[in-house]
This record gives sequence, structure tokens and C-alpha cells, in this order.
Amino acid sequence: MSKERAIGRAEKRQYDLPLNRGSGTGFLVILIALMTFLGMLALSASFALSAMTHRWSSGLENRISIEIPTQDETGKLLDRPTIRTLTQNIAEGLKGTPGIVSIHALDDAEITKLVEPWLGTDLAKTDIPIPGIVAIETSTSDSQTLQAIHNKISAITPNARMDTHEEWLSDLLRFTGAMKLVAMILAIVIAVTTVTAVSGAVRSRMALHRAEVELLHLMGASDKYITRQFQRHSMILALRGGIAGAVFGGIILVLIGWIAGQMGVAILPDFHLEPVQIAMLALTPFAASLIATISARWTVGRVLATFP
Amino acid sequence: MIRYDHVGLRYGIGPEVLSDISFNLDPGSFHFLTGPSGAGKTSLMTLLYLGRKPTRGIISMFGQNIGAMTREQLVPIRQRVGVVFQDYRLMNHLSAFDNVALPLRIAGKPEKEIKNNVEELMHWVGLGDHMNALPNTMSGGQQQRISIARAVITRPRLLLADEPTGNLDDEIGFRLMGLFEQLNRMGTTILIATHSQVMMDKFNHSRLILDKGSMTVVPPKPKAMEGAA
Ligand SMILES: Nc1ncnc2c1ncn2[C@@H]1O[C@H](COP(=O)(O)OP(=O)(O)OP(=O)(O)O)[C@@H](O)[C@H]1O
Ligand SMILES: [Mg+2]
Repeated sequence: MSKERAIGRAEKRQYDLPLNRGSGTGFLVILIALMTFLGMLALSASFALSAMTHRWSSGLENRISIEIPTQDETGKLLDRPTIRTLTQNIAEGLKGTPGIVSIHALDDAEITKLVEPWLGTDLAKTDIPIPGIVAIETSTSDSQTLQAIHNKISAITPNARMDTHEEWLSDLLRFTGAMKLVAMILAIVIAVTTVTAVSGAVRSRMALHRAEVELLHLMGASDKYITRQFQRHSMILALRGGIAGAVFGGIILVLIGWIAGQMGVAILPDFHLEPVQIAMLALTPFAASLIATISARWTVGRVLATFP
Repeated sequence: MIRYDHVGLRYGIGPEVLSDISFNLDPGSFHFLTGPSGAGKTSLMTLLYLGRKPTRGIISMFGQNIGAMTREQLVPIRQRVGVVFQDYRLMNHLSAFDNVALPLRIAGKPEKEIKNNVEELMHWVGLGDHMNALPNTMSGGQQQRISIARAVITRPRLLLADEPTGNLDDEIGFRLMGLFEQLNRMGTTILIATHSQVMMDKFNHSRLILDKGSMTVVPPKPKAMEGAA
């Protein structure tokens, strides 16, 4: 008698259905942990891309550089003093143009320094002509202002080239846009995988415990009552997996940030997250759990609809 | 209260297991359902607890036409029916207590009320010492008593019992019949499927006799003849 009761004693009841029995729950926890981890990486990558785009484009927008080439329109080489004078003339001529915030004509030393990484320091000691550059900052980038500036320059020398960096910027934006699209597709794939896995797991659980589910149904349990059990079970499993995945993901992100710091910002973009972004990352496991809960609910509803 | 009108049932493409069944169960009445093995007693029970839909005929329960109702509307009908299954159908991962408490939990009763009612009933059916035992560690008779307690705990309007005393010795069987009669006096309509001639002789109630899918209704013996049989 006492032995029977020791063996036969029931543990604390958690669900009406034996959802905590049998294998298969571990698989789901691990899968959701992995999905959360991947989701966090995809999200961080898109944050980093945004930051990169922002940093680069904000450095360039409303900036124009005017280059005075070393050859005139006939192909004749100009000497340094001539280029110098043209540069000064343009800088002077643009003064007072509406929309211009600052004008700076780069001197030879500055230009030499700019090209130094490619051409070396010897340039300054030679007579080789170097192009003139005028850097302009404007308050807007509308076409009217740009046209006015262009007209003025053309009047001084038709040879000067005006570079609004638009081409370079739009290339950059196209690239980061494509990368963001990839991240988004990745996020969708992750979500679809999670939904499929949870639905499959719930479906096989329901098949396994069909007799018990049917019994509840016959005793007058509403679909809602039965669904709630599967929903709660899936939510708890998903939270467990999601939090494990998020902890792992967080560690990896901190590591990446640390390595980036060690290497210097030159190679990797400044890996710095805003508080809002950190909050979004922290919400990833809860999003995973929400997806799991909703898929469980939907699947159970569909199976129950086949009951008499 | 329960009305069957030319009801037929077949499983898949097999022959009709029940054919052209018509009968009435009045509120507060008590009936035996009997007939040889394979006559269709369990099949009729399945129709009565809404575990299957009939292949023909009209069923009305508690004044409502079942065939015209949605799944959601059937939920309160199901809650008014208590069932003792021939194969018990206990939840093996739940304690005896939790098995008996299940219908009350489904009905959303408060835990305190559940505890009092379940403990009282379990003592009454002689399982007061087995509240925390798991069903598959208990004897057939004990499991049967759990399933009976589970069926009556909500004081259903209709109680269906399929061979409820099959595994019990006569003494406990009579005691449980007493429980059914007590429930019946409080207004529950009762239908008990049984093979036991002893039970049907001892308790004088109407008999629905099934044979080869057809039903004959035999009313209870008149009072004057009671005891003479
Ligand atoms: N799920 C099912 N699928 C197909 N046929 C079934 C099913 N359940 C019962 N039957 C058939 O229906 C007939 C009636 O069976 P049922 O179980 O209703 O008889 P019963 O009167 O309860 O018998 P017993 O007294 O042995 O319990 C039998 O011929 C049986 O083979
Ligand atoms: Mg039977």
C-alpha cells in the first residue's frame, strides 16, 4: 500500500493534458533558441547598416566639391599658379550665393595630404600640376541652388567639374538597401521556420494525446479551454528557448563589438547601438514566444474543428 | 427531454449498427439499456454524449435540435451530460483527485469548492485514501469508481453509464446504484447500459432493449407486481 502510493503519487498538476510528458519539447526549445539567436544577428546587422548609411550620407549630403582639372578644355596642361588663380576666382565668385554656408579653397598642402596615400609625399617637391579643389557646404541640396552654383562656376571657367557626391551616395544607398532586404528576407525565413516547427510540434502532440483531447472535448471543454493549454505550453517552451538564444546572441554581439573596437573603426563600421535598438534586441525572445503562441493557437483551432 | 426520431448510425460504409431508433427520455426518469453484446449499446451511448453524429434521423436534447447547432452551442449541452465510459477513459497522468475534479475545472468552478466537493464524493465512493494515486496504479474496480465519481460530480441533467458496475462486486455495485438513484431523485435523468439481470431485477426501471440495431421499450413493472418477480 505505502509502496503503491509512493510510486503512484501524482506530481503537481500543470495541465489537464499530459503536455510535459514525452520527448520533443527539447527539440522545440533548441530550435527556438537558434531562431532567436539568428533573428538577433539579422536585426543587429540591419541596425549596423542603418548606422553606416547614416554616418556616410550625413558626412556627404549638402557638400559639394568643385575640381579644377590640370588640363583646360583643349587638353593643354595648366601650371600650378594658373590653377591656383582659377581656384581663388571660383571661391571669390561664389561668395554671397544664396544657399551657400561655407566656401573653402583647399591649398596645395591640403590637396597633397589628400592624395598622399596614393601618390606619396614627393608630389609637393615636383612641378607636376595638381588639381584645385573648392569645398562648399550648402544649406540645401535642391536643384535650384545647385543650378545657380553651377552657372556661376561655368561663367568663371567652363572647365571646372562640380561633384555633388550624388552618384556615390546613391550607389551606397542601393547597396545598403539590398543588404537590408537580405536581412528582412532572413527575418521572414526565421519567422516562417518557427511557425512551421511549432505547428508541426503541436500537431504531433495533439495526435499523440488525441484520446485525452477528445475526452476534454466530450466533457464540454470549449475549444478555447483546450487551446489555452497548448498555447500556454508553447509559450513557456518558446520563452525558455528564446531567452537562452537571446543570452547567447547578446554575448556574441558584445564580442563582435569588442573585436571591432580592438581592430579600430576603420574596418568595421562603428558598432554602437542606440537604447531603442538594444530594447528591440531584448524583445526578440518575446517576439519568438508570441509567434510560437499564435501558431499553437491556430494549429489547435484547426485540429479541433475536425472534432464532432 | 431527450428525443430520438428515426435515428440511424453506420460506421463508414459498414452496415447500419443502429437503425430507425425512436424513443423519449422524460426529465427525471431512470432507464436501463440492455441487449446482447454487439447490439449497439455503446454506439447509442456515443450518440447520446455527442461523440458522433447520426447518419440519419433527428435528435433533440434539452429541447434543442442537435443537428442544427454549431460546435460552440454544443458546449453547454455537453456540460449537462455526465458519462461513465465502458473503458473508463481516465487521464493517466493526473491523480484520482484531479480526474474527478476535471469537469468542475472545465466548468470554471473555484478551487475551494472543487476541493470540498471532490473530497466528499471520493470518500463516499470509498476512495478517500487514494486521492493522490495515479489511475494506472489502481485496480479496475477503483478506476471504475473514479470514472463514476467524475461523471456525477457536476450533478449532470443526464447521466449515461456504460456497464458502470461491470467490474464491481455486487455489494459495491448496489452501493453505486444507490448513488445513481439518489442522483435521480434530485432530478437527473439516468440511462445505464448493463448486461446484469441481477441489477435489472433488483432495481425496477424501464428497459430499452436493443437487438440487431432495433429498440424495444419495456416499461417498469407496476407497483403491485414488485417483489413478485
Ligand atoms: N468505432 C467503430 N467502428 C466500426 N464499427 C464499430 C465501432 N464501434 C462499434 N462498432 C460495431 O458496432 C456494433 C455495435 O457495437 P457496440 O460497441 O455499440 O455494441 P455493444 O452493445 O456496446 O456491445 P458490448 O455489450 O459488447 O459492449 C458492433 O458490430 C461493432 O463491431
Ligand atoms: Mg458496449
